[in-house]
Amino acid sequence: MNILVCVKQVPDTAEIKIDPVTNTLIRDGVPSIVNPFDGYALEAAARIRDENLKTQIVVMSMGPEQAGNALRECLAIAADKAYLISDRCFGGSDTLATSYILMNAIKKIEESEGKFDAVFCGKQAIDGDTAQVGPEIAEQLGYPQVTYALTAKEEEGGLEILCEAEDENHVVGVKTPCLVTFTKPDFEPRFPTVKRKMAAKKAEIAKLTAEDFKDIDLSRIGLKGSPTKVKKTFVPEQKKGGIRIEEESGEAAGRKLCEMLSAAHII
Amino acid sequence: MDVKTKDIWVFVETNEDGSAKNAGIELLGPGRKLADKQGGKLTAVVIGCKPEAAIADAGEHGADKIIAVDGEEYKTYSTDAYTKALAYLVEKYGPTSMLIGATAYGRDLGPRLSSRLQTGLTADCTDLDIDEESGCIIWTRPAFGGNLMASIMCPEARPQMGTVRPGVFKKEAAAENRAEIMREDFHVAAEEIRTEIREVIREAAGELVDLEGAGIIVAGGRGAGSSEGFACIRELAEVLGATVGASRAAVDNGWISHSHQVGQTGKTVGPKLYIACGISGAIQHLAGMSSADIIVAINKDGDAPIFGVADYGIAGNMFEVVPALIAEIRKSKA
Amino acid sequence: MGEYNVITPEIIAELEKAAPGRVVTGGDINPDYARDEMPAYGVHMPEASIDVLSTEEIAGIVKICYENNIPVTTRGAGTGLVGGCTPICGGVVLCTMRMNKILGYDLENMAVTVQPGVLLQQLAEDAMEHGCMYPPDPGEKLATLGGNVATNAGGMRAVKYGCTRDYVRALTVVLPTGEITRFGATVSKTSSGYSMTNLICGSEGTLGIITEITLRLIPAPKAAVSLMVPFENLHACTAMVPKMFMSGFKPQALEFFEKEILVSSEKFLGKQTFPRQVEGTEAGAYLLITFDGDSEEELDVIVEKAAEVFLENEALDVLIADTPPKMKDIWAARSSFLEGIEEQTKMLDECDVVVPVNRIADYVDYIAGIKSNYDFQVQYFGHAGDGNLHIYTCSNDMDPEEFGKQADEFMSLLYSKAMELGGQISGEHGIGMGKVKYLEEAMGEVAIRLMKGIKDVFDPKNILNPGKVCDRL
Repeated sequence: MNILVCVKQVPDTAEIKIDPVTNTLIRDGVPSIVNPFDGYALEAAARIRDENLKTQIVVMSMGPEQAGNALRECLAIAADKAYLISDRCFGGSDTLATSYILMNAIKKIEESEGKFDAVFCGKQAIDGDTAQVGPEIAEQLGYPQVTYALTAKEEEGGLEILCEAEDENHVVGVKTPCLVTFTKPDFEPRFPTVKRKMAAKKAEIAKLTAEDFKDIDLSRIGLKGSPTKVKKTFVPEQKKGGIRIEEESGEAAGRKLCEMLSAAHII
Repeated sequence: MDVKTKDIWVFVETNEDGSAKNAGIELLGPGRKLADKQGGKLTAVVIGCKPEAAIADAGEHGADKIIAVDGEEYKTYSTDAYTKALAYLVEKYGPTSMLIGATAYGRDLGPRLSSRLQTGLTADCTDLDIDEESGCIIWTRPAFGGNLMASIMCPEARPQMGTVRPGVFKKEAAAENRAEIMREDFHVAAEEIRTEIREVIREAAGELVDLEGAGIIVAGGRGAGSSEGFACIRELAEVLGATVGASRAAVDNGWISHSHQVGQTGKTVGPKLYIACGISGAIQHLAGMSSADIIVAINKDGDAPIFGVADYGIAGNMFEVVPALIAEIRKSKA
Repeated sequence: MGEYNVITPEIIAELEKAAPGRVVTGGDINPDYARDEMPAYGVHMPEASIDVLSTEEIAGIVKICYENNIPVTTRGAGTGLVGGCTPICGGVVLCTMRMNKILGYDLENMAVTVQPGVLLQQLAEDAMEHGCMYPPDPGEKLATLGGNVATNAGGMRAVKYGCTRDYVRALTVVLPTGEITRFGATVSKTSSGYSMTNLICGSEGTLGIITEITLRLIPAPKAAVSLMVPFENLHACTAMVPKMFMSGFKPQALEFFEKEILVSSEKFLGKQTFPRQVEGTEAGAYLLITFDGDSEEELDVIVEKAAEVFLENEALDVLIADTPPKMKDIWAARSSFLEGIEEQTKMLDECDVVVPVNRIADYVDYIAGIKSNYDFQVQYFGHAGDGNLHIYTCSNDMDPEEFGKQADEFMSLLYSKAMELGGQISGEHGIGMGKVKYLEEAMGEVAIRLMKGIKDVFDPKNILNPGKVCDRL
């Protein structure tokens, strides 16, 4: 199989704190990591290769130069080759514009790596949490999509995928080429071996810019080419200490609690 | 797409039996407000297999019009069939806006459809409004793991689309059904559906305790007093669809098995809601649960450390508070 | 027992004057104060408990107890594993958890002064914010520093940085008479008579009550990386350890464990991080190593060389955790061994022996040879870098009496073997009440006589934590 895994370098959102004075996000010193869901996609590809050694795994990432670190991490874990998609004119793209750029990138990479049987993505990035780019790429490639996948197995002419549905799991068959987005399974991505890690440090990462995409329509990318615009961002109101519910009886307090929780949309 | 009407669309997802999912029906409330502000009609789009129940439900919850598509191929959700049908309807009717419940299927369908229609989609919104100046919808959604909120607009492309987080809006009370029903005979051939569900796996509801993955946890501690004392904790968990947790004291006393234990020597959890009943909040317990989004503490001793991390605190007897809470939740659900 | 007085209402009234509003008696006493993490060694309620707030207050309380001949047992978070803080003779329990302030840094001398109830985790995080590291790193991060000093706690980083003792600069101590004294100073050398700080350190609350601690810090290493090294069997794994040191490596932590204990811990955490097999070979045991240094580049060189040495010595593979979340994941699996065992076990006993690193392989071979003679399961893991092994006997279905009998016999054999190989009976957990009899056997008459003599000088009425360490009831 020939598999492309799309990854994004994201700030570790668990480490983000709010400046209590300015009420803004503190991004300084927040470590950059490979989006965890993309890590699961990479692991899924690696497991396919464990079964079929003739599998090639290519990773690509769109982002600034430093996203190369995320690609090296993927090379250390499982990827064979890496491509960085980087151009100032890609900045400000919303999900639709991003998926359009990535679709162009996939076509370009296929010129050197051969046609991909499957494109794997994380279900969403933990900074944006949209879960839109995967299905949007699938649509632009005209591929069938399977979302919320846990594991994937290669079969004749396609993949068999175990995925999460509402409150059950489905085993889904899909023909290749296809696009699959992965969520968190009950295992973690494998650790790199020291050998792979050292090789990844020295590996060459191919870089593609807008100029490499002959047919790209520049009016569909970047801030201008994005149908959605961010009007404003704000930090949600922080918890301000606890509320004590004081009623005459325990029963009354229980009722009051229910009222307050549902008013706050908690239950 | 060319806009042909000022109507607001709400996509109503259906179950296999043709009934509507709440995620769609509850959007008719905010849909109504947007439609009124925009001066258009509120249209529910129902796709399913024999979806008569869903059509009636949508009508009773405020839809002015209902566009219904009925077919065997829509019985279970597939990206291909649903996208094709909805894209056909959007092209035909030209609505300005479309709301989709951000269920697993809604979030699979939304981006596929917006990409086909080449329009903007905002994911998993928690608030909706209209910009007075432009008349565009303002979609507000959390990002950065909830640390930041973003308000997003789609000024030009149409329809403006968004998926809306289930449960943010409450289903309105049923009213008289005045909806005009339009039936569309649109079918998707079997070979055009490129995914095949081969097997459905339902987890055996057994002893599996998934505290780490739980959205809501109801936990009991020394205040529960006995394993019988856990009955009301289990009951509260059941009505909330929550997982039962416990402090070390409760586990050590043998009232509940260790797999339920939260804290330093148990599991570290981060649910959206943590209800601590009869737990004083030893540091070891707090270490395991203080990152919960919302913490409710019910404990006799009002000075117990648990109140230091609680968003809502009741100094009282859990055996009085919890049953009242259960009764009240049952009432509001009915 | 019996030589102590019971606490009368008059004494309660006096204690109440010393610690107003905080003297708790009878059924109101927190049941946690009757035990530590190892209730198997006994649970005993005190007659009164006080959550103490200051050195002077403790001095006042102790004076009352001394005059009235009432036992005083001091406790921190109660995370010990040998019954060290169990008030087996009743009396008063003093809990230091509310004395939890970091009093101040002296960065020019690389030192910090804390109250005894500060938690290890609290200091570790706070020191990091000051650009410093407090190196001792026992598995239990929610233990108090007072408890750490009282047991000379060791932990994972002892292999490179030593134990708690190596970081104690000075101590404020309340003696059983109620006198307040300061031992040591913020200096890095001293040749000034007997080392009183070293006597208090590891004395488990039997010589004095630690009420303030000045600890040495080091500049925080700028980079760290962990390696996971699977081996086919435990022998190959432990035989690797001395070779590492001979090759000149200075790991910050070096742990070994068998597959079974890893599996139960990962099951407990619900997350598998370690590979179970490598290219078709089942892994039977693992080494887990952390290197720290001043830069990633420096570590890369070390890691590459270390990987070579491992692979030449039967390692199946060498995997690397080079990001903070990955390091957290693998160390989480290591840190949950005890919880993993506890979850699956009703009856539990443990020992904490230490042997020279070049004898670990012999020692684990010995355990493997005798464990089948007993009806319980035997699980073990250890700080390979210090030759410190934690061995657990676990059973769910044995008759408790029979379990106790067999465990006792098994433990005796383990302790004799450790001594025979040139080791000691406790690496870091202490003696408490659970190991008193074994300490006597292992130390011999002369050493025990000296220990008792020291105890007598500090505490002539034997009111401080009676029945512990060298005091056999």
